[in-house]
Amino acid sequence: MKGILKSMATTLSTFARKPVTREYPETHKELPERDRAFPVLLWDKEVHEPFCTGCHACERACPVECMTVLMKDNPAHKSVGGESSRRKIIDKFWIDYGRCMRCNICVEVCNFDAITMNNTWEGHEKSVYDRADLVQDLPMLLSEHRNGELKPWVNE
Amino acid sequence: MTNALQPNSNHEFEVQDIMINMGPQHPATHGVFRMVLAVDGEIVRDLIPHIGYMHRGAEKLSETMDFRQGIGFMDRTEYLAQFNAELAYVMAVEKLMDIEVPERAQWIRMILCELNRLSSHFMFTGAFGADAGVFGTSFIYAFRWREEILDLFEEITGDRLMYAYFRPGGLAWEVTDNFVERVHQVLALSRQGIKDVDGLVTNNEIFKARTQGVGVLTKEQAIDWGTTGPVLRASGVAMDVRRDEPYLFYDQVEFDIPVGQNGDVYDRWCLRIEEMRQSVRIVEQCLTKLQPGPIQPERMPRMLRTPPGEVYIRTEAPRGEFGIYMVSKGGNRPHRLKVRSSCFANLQSLRDMSIGQYVADAVLALGSMDIVLCEVDR
Amino acid sequence: MSTLFGLPVALDALIRVLIIVGVMTVVVMGLIYIERKVLARFQQRLGPTRTGPMGLLQSVADALKLVAKEDVRPTNADPWVFELAPFLVFVPTFLGFVVVPFALAWSVRDLDLGLFYILAVSSVNIIGWVMAGWASDNRYAMLGALRAVAQSISYELPLVMALIAVAMVADSLNISEIVRGQAVVPNIVWQPLPFLMFFICMLAEMNRPPFDIPVGESEVVGGPYVEYSGIRWSMFFLAEYASMFIMALLGAAVFLGGSAWPLGEQLGLPWQILLTVVKAGAIIFVVIWTRASFPRLRIDQLMSFSWKLLLPVSFAQIMVNGLILVYDLPYGMSHTLLAVCSAAGVLFVASAINRSVTRPRPRPVLISRSEAAR
Repeated sequence: MKGILKSMATTLSTFARKPVTREYPETHKELPERDRAFPVLLWDKEVHEPFCTGCHACERACPVECMTVLMKDNPAHKSVGGESSRRKIIDKFWIDYGRCMRCNICVEVCNFDAITMNNTWEGHEKSVYDRADLVQDLPMLLSEHRNGELKPWVNE
Repeated sequence: MTNALQPNSNHEFEVQDIMINMGPQHPATHGVFRMVLAVDGEIVRDLIPHIGYMHRGAEKLSETMDFRQGIGFMDRTEYLAQFNAELAYVMAVEKLMDIEVPERAQWIRMILCELNRLSSHFMFTGAFGADAGVFGTSFIYAFRWREEILDLFEEITGDRLMYAYFRPGGLAWEVTDNFVERVHQVLALSRQGIKDVDGLVTNNEIFKARTQGVGVLTKEQAIDWGTTGPVLRASGVAMDVRRDEPYLFYDQVEFDIPVGQNGDVYDRWCLRIEEMRQSVRIVEQCLTKLQPGPIQPERMPRMLRTPPGEVYIRTEAPRGEFGIYMVSKGGNRPHRLKVRSSCFANLQSLRDMSIGQYVADAVLALGSMDIVLCEVDR
Repeated sequence: MSTLFGLPVALDALIRVLIIVGVMTVVVMGLIYIERKVLARFQQRLGPTRTGPMGLLQSVADALKLVAKEDVRPTNADPWVFELAPFLVFVPTFLGFVVVPFALAWSVRDLDLGLFYILAVSSVNIIGWVMAGWASDNRYAMLGALRAVAQSISYELPLVMALIAVAMVADSLNISEIVRGQAVVPNIVWQPLPFLMFFICMLAEMNRPPFDIPVGESEVVGGPYVEYSGIRWSMFFLAEYASMFIMALLGAAVFLGGSAWPLGEQLGLPWQILLTVVKAGAIIFVVIWTRASFPRLRIDQLMSFSWKLLLPVSFAQIMVNGLILVYDLPYGMSHTLLAVCSAAGVLFVASAINRSVTRPRPRPVLISRSEAAR
């Protein structure tokens, strides 16, 4: 009989505690700074162009082949009258968020620190009605950093 | 109604067993698993498990991944004890390449693996309580306490469930600055959680009446089927890879291994609760021995190439012995990766556990083995 | 019989029927909401919060959804039996409302055989379950129905015996009289064992955890109700909550002193209603508490618990009661004897539960890591 009473006492003690429910979407949990949502590209504010040069390193390293990268000659390079020191620049970039497994390998292999994992709530709230809408192109990938919506990530 | 009885011409009743199909979708879900029971009234006469609903070709896919890409796949193979799965994989690569892992990385790996064992066993208590009929309360408790551990993992690795944090040679990046305090916090909360779950279920007379003497697996049967982990230890065999072939630094910490006497479902429950307590004990000892230092060896090649060879690494995952057999023919991909899945061997013993018992007890026996279908089917 | 406002008997009966239906519907929907909220609090979470302020309209939303569902019927279902089964489960529980007292003079009808009537009427739902299971043309429904019936019949007997024991002490079957007789001391003091048995049997009658095998989701999914959809299914469901309400009121009236204790007669009508509500609410709280705390009993354990423990103990209680009451002892002595014997019965039941499962069994031993491998 004691066990039964102990069960009831345990349930009663939880009754007295405050509920731990967080009512999403009105309240959001505070995300840690290392949170790993989907990858986004970074924007170089000094020369007004993406950091990414289209070197295909992340595309090759991706385990699920979710990226498509095309590079072009940089029209803003110093040799043709611009201010940037990047000879090549990214032309088109697609990431299929539906295939991405958020393993962080693309961030680790990038030589230019041009890609990072989104660590805000917008990176997680990517639900769409049609799976084709999950494919992100270059302007979409750059938009979040350009608008200053990312938090600094501790990258070792 | 049903015409299971068909008298033959001798006017004798020929008793046929009814085949009950517990289809791929269970209400008390353990993943997509199908069992066909031949029952005589309520007693199970035969049990035929059907697996393969979750087969994704993980082993074959791993042959196309190099040694960093494949770590994420190990996460998804055993999605409740991810660190243990990743650990086996990276240990296999380290053994093939003969890499020396720095001490700090080993201690942190040990802490994370034991915390993962804790969260996996919490999940077991929740799911099994739901099987036994404690309407959701144990399930909710388990997930509430598990959230604390997952929050810690999110702070360190960035992801709540699929970490991809271990690398051959050590860890991918350094842990957070407040790692030690956070782990102490999590341990204190986990102790409260263990107390909650224990108090709710373990001594409850109704629970005991449901689980004692049910799903019994004798010592010989357990050894014959190749079961490992809590299923084997509950049947009285004191086998634990952490003690018999210590990896990481398990030979430098003190812990106890609970061994059951009866091999029934109740013993498996008590055993896992006790293992949770021992995990807390191990993590505390590891925290005292954690020193600052590097987490990767100094001269790690950028591209991991293993020399030709083969290796079998075994670890003690929460469900049993999780082994990786890796064959490499040079190059940066494994030529063959075989996962020795603990749940696969344990699942085979389900038949012996359930024959002669009631149908409801067969469900409990399945729950007590703590199956993760991803691991069974890979 | 006096009628309301001196109206003709037929009109008066109609008005009373409408009162019952109206009150019960509202109460049952409120009970569903309360159960979800309280159960959620036991699990450290919130219950319904979004439908209406604080989730108050959740039951209404559920009812609307169920009404809008398609009425699926198996082709081979026996049409009349299939149709009538929900009514046979639903209506008798509402009939029990007739004799339950809310305040000292406030039951719908003050029957002299009140206790007998309520027990008789609440057993009719067994026929409804058999009809539901049989007409569904589904082997799992039949299995579930047979289990529900077996469980119901087994727990009906100790329930009746427990209430008879109390009726013996109170010397009447009229519920209002039983309530009045508790003006000084509630019956639970004299008869704790029948209260315990009443509580356990009440859980079993309503198919509530830990006795909810017929509706256990992880085994026979949905039990006898598996082929019903929409509003028909909800009638079974509402019947369960209606009977929970009625049994709680009955328990409060018969055992806890209803509206008469502590100071019912003196303090007038609002206090009496408050007392009834508080006591019935306490019983409902404990019912939800047991739901949150216990695993399910297996069907054979359930049956053996009833037939081998509860029934003999209830017979013993009645015999002891009769033995004590047949000699015209002074009030103090007879009632003290009753209380002592009943408390001994409670201890006996507790120890029997203990002994049935806590056979000395070796627990897992701990082998320290540093012991040599075997």
